[in-house]
Parts: sequence; C-alpha cells; structure tokens
Amino acid sequence: MQLVLFFIFGGLCAAAALNLLLTRHPINSALSLIVVMTSLAVLYLTLGAEFLAAAQVIVYSGAIMVLFTFVIMLLNAGEEVRTRGSRAAYLVGVPGVAALFSLLTFVFLSQGNHLGKSTLANPATLYDLSAVLFRDLLLPFEVTSVLILIAILGAVALARKEH
Amino acid sequence: MTGTSYRELLLLALPQTVVVLAGLIALALDLSLFRNSTNRVRFSAGAAIACAGSLAAGCCILLSQTHGAIQTFQNGMLLSNPLTHLIQIALLLLAVLTILLSIDSTFTDHIGEYILLILLATAGMMFLVSTEDLLLIFVSLELLSLCLYVLTGFNKHSVHSAEAALKYFLFGGMSAAFLLFGFSYLYGLSGSTNLVRIAAATEGSVMDPLLMVAIVMTVTGFGFKVAAVPFHLWSPDAYEGAPAPAAAFIASASKVASFFIFAQVMVLGFAGTAGNAGWNVRAPGWAPLVAVVAALSLVLGNVAALAQKSVKRLLAYSAIAHAGYMLLAIVSHTQQSIAALLYYVLTYALTTIGAFGVVAVVEHQTGGDKLSDFAGLSRRAPLPSMCMLVFLLSLAGIPPLAGFFGKFYLFSAALAGTTASLSLLWLVILAVAMSAVSLYYYLQVLKRIYVEQPPADAAPIQISILSQIVLCLIAAIIILLGCAPNLLLRLIQNALNAIIA
Amino acid sequence: MVPIAYYLVLSALLFSIGAGAFLIKRNIITVFMSIELMLNAVNLSFVAFAYQWHAIRGQIFVFFVMVVAAAEAAVGLAIIIAVYRTRNTLNVDQIDLMKL
Repeated sequence: MQLVLFFIFGGLCAAAALNLLLTRHPINSALSLIVVMTSLAVLYLTLGAEFLAAAQVIVYSGAIMVLFTFVIMLLNAGEEVRTRGSRAAYLVGVPGVAALFSLLTFVFLSQGNHLGKSTLANPATLYDLSAVLFRDLLLPFEVTSVLILIAILGAVALARKEH
Repeated sequence: MTGTSYRELLLLALPQTVVVLAGLIALALDLSLFRNSTNRVRFSAGAAIACAGSLAAGCCILLSQTHGAIQTFQNGMLLSNPLTHLIQIALLLLAVLTILLSIDSTFTDHIGEYILLILLATAGMMFLVSTEDLLLIFVSLELLSLCLYVLTGFNKHSVHSAEAALKYFLFGGMSAAFLLFGFSYLYGLSGSTNLVRIAAATEGSVMDPLLMVAIVMTVTGFGFKVAAVPFHLWSPDAYEGAPAPAAAFIASASKVASFFIFAQVMVLGFAGTAGNAGWNVRAPGWAPLVAVVAALSLVLGNVAALAQKSVKRLLAYSAIAHAGYMLLAIVSHTQQSIAALLYYVLTYALTTIGAFGVVAVVEHQTGGDKLSDFAGLSRRAPLPSMCMLVFLLSLAGIPPLAGFFGKFYLFSAALAGTTASLSLLWLVILAVAMSAVSLYYYLQVLKRIYVEQPPADAAPIQISILSQIVLCLIAAIIILLGCAPNLLLRLIQNALNAIIA
Repeated sequence: MVPIAYYLVLSALLFSIGAGAFLIKRNIITVFMSIELMLNAVNLSFVAFAYQWHAIRGQIFVFFVMVVAAAEAAVGLAIIIAVYRTRNTLNVDQIDLMKL
C-alpha cells in the first residue's frame, strides 16, 4: 500500500519537476512546481510527518506559489526565448548534474539496506514537535522572527516606487 | 528533557538583542520624529542611535566576559567564550564604521530602513559566529544574506544596483540550497545537527561517498559565501553595482563572519576527515579540495584584477585573491594558522572598509568609480589620498603595515604545519608569487592618484570632517597593527588557548 | 514498506533537476523557481533522514527551511520587480550591463 503511494506520488513529483524544466511558459513551470510540492506533502505523510505535510501544502503550495503566480501575472511574463548563453549551460551543466545524480543513486541503492524501511506507523505528534520547537530550538525560532522582519522591510524598500 | 532557562538564554543573547532593539528604535524615530528633517539630519540621528546601540552591546559582551569565561547553551546552540566575544566586538566595530562612512551618501531616502538592515545583519553575524549548531548556522547565514541582497539593491536610482542585487540573490539562493543539501547528508550520517557530534560520528570514514558529497556540497555553499573561485561569479557585479557603503559592508563584516564560520564548520564539524593537501603527503579529505579552491582563487583573482577599469571591481577581484590567502590558512588548520586567519581577516576587513570609504568619497563627487575618476586625486583631496595609499599598500602587503604582517604570519603558520613541515610549500610559493602580481594593480591605482594630472575642470573634493576622521582613524589602526601586531595577535591567541583548554 | 533509500533517490533526482533548471532556464522567475525546487528536494531528504533516526529535529529543520524559503521568496520577487521596472525584460541574458 505504501509502496504504491510512493510510486504514484514519487512518479508524479519527478514528472512535474521534469515538466518545470522542459516547459517554456513560466506559468506552466509554476503550476508544475505546485504539483511537485503537493505530491511531496503526500510523501511526508508516508514518512510520519503529518504536521509537516499540512504545513507544506499551506506554506509552499498556498503562500509561496501564490506569490510566484501573482508576480508572473503582474509582470505579464511571456514565453522564454532561448538565447546564446543557454547552450553553454547545456554543455557544462547537464553532464555535471547527471553525474551527481547517478553517483547518489548508486550509493543509495547499493547501501540502501542499512538505511531501513519506512512504515505508516507512529507519526510524530504535535506535542513532540512543539516541545522541541519551543523548548530546545527556541533561539533559532526567535531568530526567524528577525528574518521575517527583514523580508518585510526588504520587500517594501525594494519594490516601492521612488518619487 | 530539561526545561529551558529563558533567563540564561536572554542573558547570552543580550548583545544581539540590544543591537536589534537599537535598529528598531532608529527606524521608529526616523519615521516619526525626523520625518520632515533633511537627509543629513536623519542619517546623523540614525548613526548616533546605531553607535549607542553597538556601544551598549559591546559593553554587554565585555561585562559577560568578566563573570564566567566559557558558557554554552543547549549543547552548543549558543556559545559565549573569549573568541566569540572578540569576533563579535570586531563585527560591531565594522558595522559602526560602515554606518559612519555612509552618513554623507545620497543614494537613498529610506535612511531608517538602511540603518536597521545593517544592524540586523550585524545581529545575524553575531549569532552566526557564536553557534555550533547547523540549524542556527543556516538560519543566521540566511538572515545575513537576505540583508545583504536588500542592501545591494538599495540604490533605486541606479540600474546597476538592481541588477547586482538580482545576481547576488540568484547565486546566493543557489549556494544556500547546496549548503543545505550538504547539511542534510551530514544530518543523515550523524543523526545530529551539532558540529562536534557530527565530527564524532563521521570520524575516520573519509571514503564514505555520502560524506564526500556532503563535503563537496558544504565547500561549494561556503565557497559562494566567501566568493572563492569557481564560485565567485556574483561578487564583481555585486561590488560594482551596490552602493559603496553596502559594498564595504559585504566586503568587510560579512567576510569576517563567513570565514569564521567556514573555518568553524571545517575544523570542528569535519575534524576527523581533513585529509592532507601537502605535495608529499596527499590524503583524501576536505583539505585537498579547499587547497584547489584556494589556488584557483589566488591565480584568477589576482590576474583578473589586472584588467579592471572600475576600482570597485578591482577591489572585488582583490577580495577574491585575498579569499585565496585566507583559505590557505583553513587548509593548514593548525591552531597557529587559525590565529593567523583571524588576524588576517580582521585587518583585511578594516583595510577594505577604508578603501571603499575612499571610493565612496570619489564616487560621491565625480559620479563614477573608474580608474580615470581617480586621476590627480592627491591634489584634489590630499588626506583621503594618503589614507588610500595606506590601505592599498596594506592590501598589497608592504612592510610597515598590517597587511604585511598578516601575510607573513599566515605563510609561516601554513609552512609550520602539523604532520610534515613544508608540505604546503607549493601553495605558499604560489601565494607569494601572486602577491607580487597584486602589487602591480594596486600601484596602478596609486599611480592615477599621485602621478597623473587631475582633469582641468576639477574642483577640490569636499568631504565632511567626520569621514576624514573615520578614514584617518582606520589608517592609523592599520599602521599601528603593522608596527605592533602583538596588540591584536595576543588577544586572538589568548582566546584560542582559552577555548582549547 | 518503502526503503528509505527510494526517498533519498527521489530527493537527489529533484535536486539534480533543480540544479539543471537553474543553469538552463532563461527566465528569471523560472530560475528562482528552480531554487525553490532544490530546497524542496533538501526538505525531502531531511524528512527521510529524520524518519531513519527516529529523531524529530530533522522535521523541525524543514520548518525553518520553509520559513527561510518564504522570506527569500518575498525579497527575491521584490528584486525581480525592481529589475523589471528598470530593464523591462525578464531574460537572464539581457541583464548584462556589467561584464567581466
């Protein structure tokens, strides 16, 4: 059952990521990214991260991607033009990235046994999460509040029109 | 699970809290009380608040040093020891100098926001240098980076500024992803986010391919942050397009924090997997990798700087070359070479902030930072020219100045090594040869300033008393540290001894 | 029952596609989206490792990555808007006022 779930949503995820890469219109890329994020949320569920799955849908697919589509609409972004620079990127980037992926795949599949298997049992409860988040990791939590303040400040300072 | 002592946490994080509060007060006053004042009044008021805040934070650090030297909170989440105190005070000083040097600038009307961003970045760096936990390293590094992206794009009147911000942001975002990918494998290998525990879990397993991927990813991520070749592409554009004070801040304070945490992650987190980069005792690990990056940075930084027309770009390539020298210290990673690294990065930061200060003065008057804009500067502005002479000669490593001693000590520390003496000789010889090359382009700038005639219609350059005082102060410190390096070196060595003991 | 290794392979695949897209795509917004894809890949490997270690910290790390990604998106899109206002293009290759 879990294996079926993994293959359906893992496959969906990979297909959508490839679509992001191959499609030309930014809005199609954005929509495929939403598919990636939502299927990842399902995979989080199978790994016992219930709350994270909810947060993934709300924060990533909900907030961040809405922002992206909003900006695409605002700037009226059209189809991208393949220009000269991108050929060099094909030649250098694609082999490097492919090598990285095959190395990692080989490592994981050959040493995969001692990594163990996942079952649908005992997900992390909200109580465990909040205990760690607000007790042990209180300091990073507070630092993120400063981070968000910077994001607000920065977005206002950069996007505001000068008179 | 033990309860957290909020009081202890607040006491340990008090300096950072004070800095953040000072920034918020500066913004609030700027938006309320000084709303209708002139930009100069607003900048002066903001700078005064920022200085007061930094001074208060510095006092907090010094006071905490008197009672209880070494404290850690929650297994290294937040550290407080003589070394972090020293670096934090240096960061505060650099932030104050940046703000003081930007008082005259006219690139923005959002003065409160500008000062708040610099102070928040400083608070982020203070967290960054005082932690051993990957989580806080990541969050505070991103906090710092976000501030720097915004500061780079702060000049809304310049096309270059927005473009520079975009390039910095895209490369920075990718480097964060790489760094995080490395961190995730470190977490997977050790089950912990604490650097010391990661080192314990990975000790001796250099050939584990996952660990190698983690090392490569981490070095890539930090390589972007410290602008080392081949991850340097963003930095010349960012330096050229950013407003001069923001570029000064990126080149100085953020360099100090990034190099400190780079060394910390490498030396603590990968303690058992260093390998060796010596020509006679090669061994796999992170040291050979960093050695290659260092060699590339040395060569490409110095050679590319020869061809530059813009002084800010020239300083950017020189920064890449200096990153090469500092990576050399990380490669050798003995206690002595870490002391040399800290001395080097602190004096380098001070020098480069001064050099950008002079560039800001020239840019303010002539509207550009091309080499030709510096022609005959000595006749138009004698005092800043004198300061620039000191800064550039120190960057080139000419004897009575701090840069010379920094290089000398760094090279001798790298040669002393641990296992086999002289094994890093190849890298040191390269570094010495390249610093001879660097002399040429620094002298090019000085030739424009001192030998060439100013343009016929050039008026004497007006600079405020404050800028002159700050520039002279920086130059004086550099001469002082060159003549009596022990003043700073003793502090660094005592701090290092204290944490090791 | 799914081997954890499968999740890690998927994560490596997503990361590689993200890195490839970063290099190949020419539209700034899509380039930025590929960074988000890379961050998502990292999140998946964190969750998988957290499951393997039965430790909750890996999951919490993902929360922080999400917060940072959201903050980065706000700043990044503001920068993109600022660039678009001055240059009227979203093609990476046309944003080249400064050259080596």
